[in-house]
Amino acid sequence: MAARTTSTPAPAGSRSRTWAWTAGTGVALLVLLTIHMVAHHFVVEEIGGLRTYQDVLNYIGNPVIFVIESAFLVVVTIHAMLGLRSVLFDFGLSGHAKRLVDRALTVLGVATVAYGFVLIGVLASRA
Amino acid sequence: MSRQGTDPGLDEIRRARDEAGPVPRKGVGPVAWFDIRHRGLGQFAFSLNRITGLGLVFYLYLHLAVLSTLLRGEEAWDSFLGIATTRFFLLLDVLLIFGLLAHGLNGLRLALVGSGRVVDHQKAFYRSIQVIGTIVLLGAALHLLGSE
Repeated sequence: MAARTTSTPAPAGSRSRTWAWTAGTGVALLVLLTIHMVAHHFVVEEIGGLRTYQDVLNYIGNPVIFVIESAFLVVVTIHAMLGLRSVLFDFGLSGHAKRLVDRALTVLGVATVAYGFVLIGVLASRA
Repeated sequence: MSRQGTDPGLDEIRRARDEAGPVPRKGVGPVAWFDIRHRGLGQFAFSLNRITGLGLVFYLYLHLAVLSTLLRGEEAWDSFLGIATTRFFLLLDVLLIFGLLAHGLNGLRLALVGSGRVVDHQKAFYRSIQVIGTIVLLGAALHLLGSE
C-alpha cells in the first residue's frame, strides 16, 4: 500500500499557468509601479513627495490617471494573491487545503479590488 | 575545466531551461528560505524574493488603510501628512523602495531564467541588477530625505 503524503503536487500545466500569470503580472507591475512611484513621490515638491488632499483629488480625477491606478490595483492584487499562494503552498499542503487556499485568496483578492475601486471612485467623484 | 558539476544548482537550472515555468529550488518550505548555508546565489535571491514579497503584501494592505484616511476628509489627511513627513517615516519609505527594487529586479531575473533566458549569465545579470538597484535606491533616498 502506498504511503500517504501530506503534500499533493499540482499538475504541471497548472504550475506553468500560475507561473506565467505571476511573471506576466510582475513584468506589468514594473511599468505600473514605476509610474505610480514617480507620480506620487518624485514629481511633487512637498516633503516626501506626498500630495496635499486637494492635489490627491485632482490627480485621481484625471481620467488617464484613474485608468492607470485602476490597472495598477488589479494587477498588484493578482500578483500579491499568486505570491501568497506560492508561499502557502510551500508549507506542503494537501489537495483539499490547497483548494481552500485558492478559494480564500480569490475572495480576498476580489474584496481587495472591490474596496480599492470604491476608494478610487469616491475620491475621483470629489475632484 | 568544465563548469558541469561545480554547482549542482546550475545543472538543475540547465535541466529546467527547456521547460517553461518556475525553476525548481533545492529546498522548499519557509524554514528553508532562511537557511542559506551551502546554498548558491540563486537560493539566496529566491529567499530574498519570498521575504520582500511578504513584506510588500503587508504594505499593500497598510497602504490601503492609510489611503482610507482620505475618505475622512482634508483634516484627517493633513494629520497623516504630519506623521508621514517625519524623518522616521521617510526612512521607512526608503526601506519600502529597497523592498520594491529587490523584489522587482530579482523577480525580473527569475522571470527571465524561468523562461529559459539568461540562464548561463544569471550571476552576471544578478550583479547588474544589484548595481542598478543600488544606484536607484541611493538616488531615491537622497531625493526623499533631501526634501525635508
